[in-house]
Amino acid sequence: MTAGTEPGPDTGKKKLSNGTFARVARYTGVRLLTLFATVVVGVYLTILIANMGGYVDQIMKNDIIENVTQAMANDPAARKMTPEVRKQLIEERIALGEKKLGLDTPVVVRDFRYLSNALRLELGHALLMTSDSGSRQVRLIILERLPATLLLMGTSEISLFFVSVFLALTLSRKYGSIWDKLTIGLSPTSAAPPWFYGIFLILIFAAIFKILPFGGMVDTPPPTNVIDYILSILRHLVLPASSLILSAIFLSIYNWRTFFLIYSSEDYVDMAKAKGLPARDIERRYILRPTLPTIITQFALLLITVWTGATITETVFLWPGLGRTLFRAIGLYDIPVIVGSTIIYAYLLALTVFLLDFVYALVDPRVKVGGNQS
Amino acid sequence: MANEILLDVRNLVLHFATTRGPVQAVDGVDFQLDYNKAVVILGESGCGKSSLAKAILRLLPRNVQTYSGEIRLAGKDVMVLGEDEFRQNVRWAAISLVPQAAMNALNPVLRVGEQVAEPAMIHLGMKKEDALQLALKMFQHVGVPADFISRYPFELSGGMRQRVAIAMALVTSPSLIVLDEPTSALDLLTQANIFNVLKRIKKELGTSFILITHDIATSSELADNVAVMYAGQIVETGEASKFFPAPLHPYSQKLMASVPRLRANQDPDFITGQPPSLVNLPGGCRFAERCPLRFEKCTQDPPVIEKEGRKVRCWKYA
Amino acid sequence: MNTFKKNVREILRYPSAIIGSVVILILIGVAIYAVIAIPYQKAITLWRGGEDVWYRNPKYAAPEWIDWLSTKKQPRSFYINSTTGKMDKVVTPNGDGTTGINITYTFNYTADYFPQEMSLYFTDKFDQKQPFVTIDWLTPDGRKLRIDNFAVDTQQTFRFSQDMNLVNSLGGTNPMEALFTGIDSKNVVKGTYKVVVTGITFEPNSDISAEFVLHGTVFGLAGTDHMRRDLMVALLWGVPIALIFGLAAALGTSVLTMIIAAFGAWYGGWLDELIQRITEVNLVLPFLSILIMIGTFYSRSIWVILGATIALSIFTGAIKGYRAIFLQVRESMYIEAARAYGASDMRIVFQYLIPRMIPLLIPGLVSSVPSFVFLEASLAVLGLGDPVLPTWGKIIDDAWANGALYKGYYYWILEPAVLLMLTGLAFALLGFALDRIFNPRLRGM
Repeated sequence: MTAGTEPGPDTGKKKLSNGTFARVARYTGVRLLTLFATVVVGVYLTILIANMGGYVDQIMKNDIIENVTQAMANDPAARKMTPEVRKQLIEERIALGEKKLGLDTPVVVRDFRYLSNALRLELGHALLMTSDSGSRQVRLIILERLPATLLLMGTSEISLFFVSVFLALTLSRKYGSIWDKLTIGLSPTSAAPPWFYGIFLILIFAAIFKILPFGGMVDTPPPTNVIDYILSILRHLVLPASSLILSAIFLSIYNWRTFFLIYSSEDYVDMAKAKGLPARDIERRYILRPTLPTIITQFALLLITVWTGATITETVFLWPGLGRTLFRAIGLYDIPVIVGSTIIYAYLLALTVFLLDFVYALVDPRVKVGGNQS
Repeated sequence: MANEILLDVRNLVLHFATTRGPVQAVDGVDFQLDYNKAVVILGESGCGKSSLAKAILRLLPRNVQTYSGEIRLAGKDVMVLGEDEFRQNVRWAAISLVPQAAMNALNPVLRVGEQVAEPAMIHLGMKKEDALQLALKMFQHVGVPADFISRYPFELSGGMRQRVAIAMALVTSPSLIVLDEPTSALDLLTQANIFNVLKRIKKELGTSFILITHDIATSSELADNVAVMYAGQIVETGEASKFFPAPLHPYSQKLMASVPRLRANQDPDFITGQPPSLVNLPGGCRFAERCPLRFEKCTQDPPVIEKEGRKVRCWKYA
Repeated sequence: MNTFKKNVREILRYPSAIIGSVVILILIGVAIYAVIAIPYQKAITLWRGGEDVWYRNPKYAAPEWIDWLSTKKQPRSFYINSTTGKMDKVVTPNGDGTTGINITYTFNYTADYFPQEMSLYFTDKFDQKQPFVTIDWLTPDGRKLRIDNFAVDTQQTFRFSQDMNLVNSLGGTNPMEALFTGIDSKNVVKGTYKVVVTGITFEPNSDISAEFVLHGTVFGLAGTDHMRRDLMVALLWGVPIALIFGLAAALGTSVLTMIIAAFGAWYGGWLDELIQRITEVNLVLPFLSILIMIGTFYSRSIWVILGATIALSIFTGAIKGYRAIFLQVRESMYIEAARAYGASDMRIVFQYLIPRMIPLLIPGLVSSVPSFVFLEASLAVLGLGDPVLPTWGKIIDDAWANGALYKGYYYWILEPAVLLMLTGLAFALLGFALDRIFNPRLRGM
């Protein structure tokens, strides 16, 4: 007897009583706190690593000293100064350079400031990078690059997901058939990452057959006509998306097929067959419904990969996305950009995980929000 | 008292393929069942009883190798029906099943009322509201409270789930219900209750039963006829009233002797050895190895002998 | 031992497992061969030694076996000096204190294409007065061409196609073509060629010596890269590096994950909670970005990267799977018995819990090797490969950075890529078969 449910001959809804509400509220609060703590710790660790605990500071300071002294040596006006004046000027400029990059405050303080700003989504200004529009604002830099990544990852991952699940469901009915054996045989091809397939695809379609572009997102110069512009993007999308899909598809189909096979050998599926239910009903109510929680979880996790992007694939295809930007930021020691990207990713992840709990409870009647989690 | 035969099974064979060789689970089974009668099929674990239940309902495993024979239902052989016809006209419409361990047989994400109503919607063409009303009536028959209709399986106890399974088997008013170990997972009190339910249904609705079990004691209450299964074959059939006091086949005798009796003076007997593996079946009489009464003829397959309306597969009676 | 034999027999039933295992064994063999035939020091020298080591090789040369794919022959590279090849040196003292030194280099040219370059590397001895040399070219069809003449230094390199005098005297055409064609200036004249260096020295102890090098368009079994390095070195040494990195990472991660999951499941309480929290934090950390940061800011050494990879890979979702199984095993009878007779916690964890898990560990371990092998290659492609070691990823990185696909040097990318794919596939095939054997839920299938 679950407390708080009202009986009735045809009730389909559980009416919530105060007891349930309090339990859900308490659970939500605890969960949000833990997730937030996780985000804080994760981002802080990332900041620490991005700084290497002050090691990077040393590199950057050396860079500044080198640049300033170099500029001094090449400056004809400087030659006219006395050594003392020159020395002072060098020191002033070095101090200015350090201040600009925030190196005048101790590392720990700076880390903490980065962290607290990031958590409030005040992403600040980049140290060295700029957006295409010329702004230094990290927010704009990220927002500019995000759509490209979303386009690439979104099309690839979502089509991959739906194709895999659909094909796997069909395949699970044809256990032992030639298609089944083919899928099993081809699944190890997913050992190779997307960029690997990318290189081969570029070799075949761009270098040898010359029918698709080597990289980039759109032709240069970009077409002015909207339709041509979209077509150009689509043309450039084919190879990178294909490498992402190719890399994962066979293993994905295999995993889902095995998953559906396991679920279709359940006793209640046999029972449904014995009851004489038509195959369509069995598939819908006895295989898909119970597996829905897992399918939804996987979809949520997939969404997470969509916003992180595929750094190396973007690099190989010169796709102007967030992954490539992050990579450049690391190469330039541009901490604000690194921190900005990380915090966005962390928040999206935490949000997805959080929502997942509720979705679970909606879809699987055995799961109660706040109930015993094993 | 026209003894019309409801079910006539002839030479039913079900073999399936495994890596160790073909498993001859059901190896030429013959038996008959009249309307409104219950037959209990006795035997040890692994003798092929569950496979027999599945064979009758054409619930074949993925690795099925041989499936043949005749299953005449009310005179018509249903073996020759196509898959779709069988599904629509036989499964649940004519024969239903109460499976072993109903715990796992219910879909965990659907309400039990819906699951009981499903066959009515499919086979009787009822609308959902009407089917649910019918399900309620079935709940009454089996003794499940009405408000359980919107519950999920995990909210029910084992005994309740078993009753739900029986209600589900009744909802289309089939002529025959096959019950596979319906009470082996339940406590004694619930067992007795379930059997009372079955007896009442038999009386009120006129259903026939095939009861597959190794629990001789409780099943003896329900049974009109008895069939004993050993190593994929039926070795003895007969009326229950004649079988229980005096079984014919040496195996049946050993089986009955192993049931402890309340007021008997002797200890229950046991059968030495193990039942043969269904993969490597010995030639000749399959029980010969463990039979205390074996003699030279037993190296050949024994014929089926009729004796006073009972049948026994044993050389002793030849 | 019996279960081992039984398992091996199970494995042999799957053709994919057999293929995978055979390829892995071959790779291990090649790795051992690579380390023995080209010891570490030698490998480093060959890979990073500098001009001195590589000068005899052509640039961007395809592998020699490419000839099998076409009817025409590509010219091979070779060098002639006083120890190898046909070098005839005749020293004739003239009466007046000068000495004539004639060196003739003879070779047979049978290719259908022109060579990439020809060079003479002079090493001369003198006090004050530089010796003077004249270089002539004798073709098989009897022509003699004056190449150039000049005074030589102690160390001097003469490159035929870069000598302006020669280019001008040939009317502006590429010397490599002009020197090898006949009157019709189109097809290669095959036959015996001679390079004659006629030198004269002016001091008693002076000497002229030179090494003649012809850079063909093909070289060796694997070709060369932009720095004239023999790719075979990197391809061979890539095998043990890939294997070690992949296996070490897979082993380290699996074993540590299992042990930590066991401890968490056994001790429960705060330890279990802590492990769960760490796992969640680890989920937030951007794996690849952190590796990139470590590589960029700290060290690109392969051991550092290996350590970081393992550290970041332990607290993943796999730990939940192991933990669930350990929780089940914990309730079993023989664990209770062990506690009853007073076994310590450590003993229970290591003697009872963990051995149960090892069969379940193996398929995951083998299946994860390819992703680690490719991870190392991925980092190299991003430019963060180990700065010293020759790895497959490094070759791909070099090839990509030098536009190999644009310029048609397909071999340069294909060779390491094929090896990567082979290694990845072998372990993936084996891992798959093992999964079907050891995974209890899949056993019926």
